[in-house]
Amino acid sequence: MAPSEVLLAVKDLEVSYGHINALSGVSLEVCRGEIVVLIGANGAGKSTLLATSLGINLPRAGSVTFRGKLISGQPADRNVRAGLCLVPEGRGVFAAMSVLDNLLLGAHHNLRAVERNLVRVYQWFPLLKERQNQVARTLSGGERQMLAIARALMSSPELIMVDEPSLGLAPIVVNDIFQILVRLNQEGYTILLSEQNAYKSLKCAHRGYVLETGKITLSGTAQELLADPGVRAAYIGA
Amino acid sequence: MQVFVAQVINGLSLGSIYVLLVTGFNLLLLVAMIIHFSYPQVVVFSMYIAWVVLRYTGNNVPLAVLASVGASVAINLASAPLFQKIMKNREEVDINSTMVVSMGIGMIITDVLSHGFNKGLPISFPKELVGDVAVFRFGLISLLSGQVVSLAVGVLAVSGVFLLLYKTRQGRAFRAIAEDPNGARLVGIPLLSTGLQSYALSGILGGLIAVLLALMLGYTSPGLGELVAHKVLGVSIIAGLGNLPGGLVVGLALGILEALIQGYLPGSWSNAIAFLVLLVVILVKPRGLFGIKL
Amino acid sequence: MSLPLYYFLTITAINILMSWALYLPYRVAHLHFLTVANMAISGYLSGWLVQGLGFSFWAALPIGLLAGGLLGWLLSLFIGDAPTFTVVIVGFTFIYITRTVIENTKAVGATMGMFGLPLVAGSPAAHRWALLALLYALVLVVGFLIHRFEHSRLGRASSAVFVDKDLATSFGVDIKKLGRLLQVFSSTVAGGCGVIYGFLYRSFHLDFFTFQLVGLFMTIIFVGGYATMWGVVVAAPLLYGLTLLFPPEVASWRIVIYGAILVAVLVLKPEGFITRRLILNLERLLSSKRKKI
Repeated sequence: MAPSEVLLAVKDLEVSYGHINALSGVSLEVCRGEIVVLIGANGAGKSTLLATSLGINLPRAGSVTFRGKLISGQPADRNVRAGLCLVPEGRGVFAAMSVLDNLLLGAHHNLRAVERNLVRVYQWFPLLKERQNQVARTLSGGERQMLAIARALMSSPELIMVDEPSLGLAPIVVNDIFQILVRLNQEGYTILLSEQNAYKSLKCAHRGYVLETGKITLSGTAQELLADPGVRAAYIGA
Repeated sequence: MQVFVAQVINGLSLGSIYVLLVTGFNLLLLVAMIIHFSYPQVVVFSMYIAWVVLRYTGNNVPLAVLASVGASVAINLASAPLFQKIMKNREEVDINSTMVVSMGIGMIITDVLSHGFNKGLPISFPKELVGDVAVFRFGLISLLSGQVVSLAVGVLAVSGVFLLLYKTRQGRAFRAIAEDPNGARLVGIPLLSTGLQSYALSGILGGLIAVLLALMLGYTSPGLGELVAHKVLGVSIIAGLGNLPGGLVVGLALGILEALIQGYLPGSWSNAIAFLVLLVVILVKPRGLFGIKL
Repeated sequence: MSLPLYYFLTITAINILMSWALYLPYRVAHLHFLTVANMAISGYLSGWLVQGLGFSFWAALPIGLLAGGLLGWLLSLFIGDAPTFTVVIVGFTFIYITRTVIENTKAVGATMGMFGLPLVAGSPAAHRWALLALLYALVLVVGFLIHRFEHSRLGRASSAVFVDKDLATSFGVDIKKLGRLLQVFSSTVAGGCGVIYGFLYRSFHLDFFTFQLVGLFMTIIFVGGYATMWGVVVAAPLLYGLTLLFPPEVASWRIVIYGAILVAVLVLKPEGFITRRLILNLERLLSSKRKKI
């Protein structure tokens, strides 16, 4: 594979909540144009890793670099403006606000491109256009996931981090969501995805990492991980 | 009938001031996440500042308005670090401690006013500005120019605030933080600076309210702050803490109720009855008519 | 006994009692400002009974206590488990309504107030000593009751409620009953204080029962330490004594000073000066000393 630019690099990251070590010495890389999957069980530290990369938490040690610049320690809003964004676990849409308001919030730091982005987002997700004045609470789980992804797109990101997109969604809907992520990747977005659903996510990804109790235990291409007996036993149940 | 109509109009002026106060209070509650119990006392302080400016500049109204707004914004921004520090003291944001702090601030403001100005007696605003010539007369209904201006500006201000909240980028950020501060962070909204903006905005609002109150009442006194504060807080409980549209409805309702009572009953009872009504509604529904947001 | 000392001791006792009355419901996060209204109502009621109807002070006092308790009980039916904010507003509006009613009631002197209330005992000296003794007896009784409460099952439950209401409910704590109990107790004590307060000066006046009083008690509780009953005991005499030491021009600004101290303590030492940890350490020290003997 031709070497491509490393967009996000996490090195030896250590994060703790009080006395609990959430992450101990985690390193990973996401290159431009890739879909990278982070597999792990509940409590493995996936959400912590994504949130710390965005700048929500302060790591105790280690670094996060985005496009070659050190971003660990910078507030999240600066990193969002730099092109990194996060679709949080549980969708993180503002239930009391309208679909349109949610989308506009995504463009909070990028108002110049808002019209253009809105048009594109409505092309991707026509149903959001239909429901643009509806309160987000009235959307179904799958629709909310689409809204959350659409909102991330409104900030014209380079790298989209998605935390557990399949959580709480029916299998058919999960397929739709993954298809959307693949299409977005084909359009040029780089995606870092954290998932418990190893099989479906590895099938769309280029590479993956396995996170277990705060440590990376395995990494490789998606095919390698799919074939790995340990991964199969723990996460795919084959 | 004419008394009724006249009082309803009065009530709308008074009500719009209550709505503005409740909205400023809710803004601080939702976005800065503090209970600013003595927000109305900051407003009354600004009234005094406006009065001083009027006195020493020969009734220069624009300057007085500017001074009033400036005073409110200054006090709010100065007290912001105090509130922020309080909130960091506990693991979970204990909103009650912000309430106690703001009570302390209120104590200071009220007593400073009692000592520093006119020995604590009420001070009145120049008649020419409040207007003692009726601008509009229809039988028993007469509107002073001051009341007309205060009603008009009040309505404009309320519309302005709601427009800001629902149609602008800043307002969206405020509402996002109000609904879910963590979610707002994830979208890249800076909590601290947006919180400070809410202090500033409610300060600007406060300064305007001070001017409106001056026009409407024609006087001010140290006790006015506490009086208005208790009513406004009663309104915000009944409307539901953090409920902006609810605040609009209940604020106007209280204004009209008070004005009607004033029209038919002698002086000091109007406040007492207003409080009685507030008390009864609160006792029956301690969490507000439309449900508490907190 | 010199008069200034007498008033220092008696007013301090009143401050301790009233601040305790406010402290107790705050154990479940209720700022029960109704207590100041209780003071006014029971006080004026007793004044009227004594001056207007010829009751003796010693008959009027229990009536005042009862009136306080009854009113506290009545309102607690509604606000026994209300959010802090609501309890605060109910208290304030009640104070306002009470003041307006008193202002307009000729029978209790309206804005002029009541004067020249009869002595509580035979001579002026006996009157003073009687009230002093009564006050400190009350301090001991109320203090004892609060102490027993805090070290009881109910007291521990109330600490849980302060930290997390929902969690406490899931442990089976009846929040409404607890809140009501504390509010009734608090209002009863406040009623008694109102009666005695007036007879200290042998008069009742609206200026006695103002919102500034609320500020004073709040400052005592939060500066002293709201997590234990001893905070009040330490802070009340100190804060009151502080202003007596100032020259009169400064002393008239005492509310500003109290407000500033309150804000400073909340920002710098949020639990107050007498913290729970301090008391626990003291208790440990005392009990280990006892063991040694």
